[in-house]
Amino acid sequence: MTPSELPLVDPNSYGAVCAVVDGCLTCGDVAVPVTVVEGGDPDALCEDEHGQRGNVAVELVSPVRAGERLLVHGGVAISRIEEGT
Amino acid sequence: MKFVDEYRDAGLARALGTKIAALAEPGRHYKIMEVCGGHTHTIYKHGIEDHLPETVELVHGPGCPVCVIPMGRVDDGITIARRDNVIFTCFGDMMRVPGGDGSLLDAKAQGADVRFVYSPLDALKIARNNPDKDVVFYAIGFETTAPSTALTLMRAKAEGLKNFSVMCNHVTIVPPLKALLESPDLRLDAFIGPGHVSTVVGCRPYEFIPKDYGQPVVVAGFEPLDLLQAILMLMTQLADGRAEIENQYARAVPWEGNTRALEVMQEVFRLRPYFEWRGLGFISQSALSLTDDYADFDAELRFDVPGVRVADPKACQCGEVLKGVIKPWECKVFGTACTPETPIGTCMVSSEGACAAYYNFGRFARSKARAGA
Repeated sequence: MTPSELPLVDPNSYGAVCAVVDGCLTCGDVAVPVTVVEGGDPDALCEDEHGQRGNVAVELVSPVRAGERLLVHGGVAISRIEEGT
Repeated sequence: MKFVDEYRDAGLARALGTKIAALAEPGRHYKIMEVCGGHTHTIYKHGIEDHLPETVELVHGPGCPVCVIPMGRVDDGITIARRDNVIFTCFGDMMRVPGGDGSLLDAKAQGADVRFVYSPLDALKIARNNPDKDVVFYAIGFETTAPSTALTLMRAKAEGLKNFSVMCNHVTIVPPLKALLESPDLRLDAFIGPGHVSTVVGCRPYEFIPKDYGQPVVVAGFEPLDLLQAILMLMTQLADGRAEIENQYARAVPWEGNTRALEVMQEVFRLRPYFEWRGLGFISQSALSLTDDYADFDAELRFDVPGVRVADPKACQCGEVLKGVIKPWECKVFGTACTPETPIGTCMVSSEGACAAYYNFGRFARSKARAGA
């Protein structure tokens, strides 16, 4: 899938890293894996699998550091992804 | 992509299917319910059923947030959306859910200011940018989504925003599971537990299923191999005569869940005495409303809503689909009067709805199989 096939999402919104092609993720139990680009609190800059970047609210999993992997739902990180588990 | 590609390996999927088939006892029919609509979506999109023996049947559960919203609650939202000076925000699929008198999308076409957002935090941004408007967020979803609404309300309160409110329709996962297990028209053998809900609530809330009903639960991720491995774990438990909770999705689900998310939910929400679920009727303590500390942000207190119960259309069998009693294609209007473009029932709206998932991915495989039979 190319970025042009993704739904149009405002890059300044909390949905910037939450675009999926199969429907509305926030209407479901879908969470998007992202990588932290720059740590922060309450918001951190993250990047999704398509290279889209945007702010994610990280209060529920903070502190976060660059390189860490998070699961994001509705612009809010709800979990970390732990390697090797 | 890491954590995605390695869970879509076709060779491993076939190997898991072989192991599952080897565990199936001859003459026994297994019914495994995937609670979550996200799992239903994966099952149809990736053809998971093609890897299972015919005696292992997947039954689709009620875990699609859009699908369980009763029509009366949609009408209540539309009533608020049609008020002067209101900007009404909601998630994308919710805009297409039919109420008794059209959808939010219809209300938008008729002039109401209805906007879709991916995050309640974006609704909060709209409120900040439009101080002369009342901005309402129509909150739906299980425990996956409820923390984002809670966090948004905490930020709104800290900022002292006066023009933001939430119409809360958040529901909880355990009460409908209990209702299903008590249902006389459904016999199940095991459950695939919801993955992302469990990142928040953890695995403990499902303890009553093995303890009181003697059925195994495996919390699973959303990639094809996640689901097949979860089914293998369930079949292994059934073969061993065990009934336990196991966590296949340990890379994202801590056993105790996200305690901070649970704390913010505790701060902002309380249980409603009862709530109507589409297809399941009224279930006690199954939904959330705002606590007294957040009453100023409660759209149902701020605006008059009719609160009228609206009966589902007679032709629609979403209730039976949500309970797993019938398959999507067994509904009288499936794929004819009811399609994703012109949905009659909620299950045809969301991509996680069993009818929409089956319509988009499964029906071609079924018609091909029937043609070959």
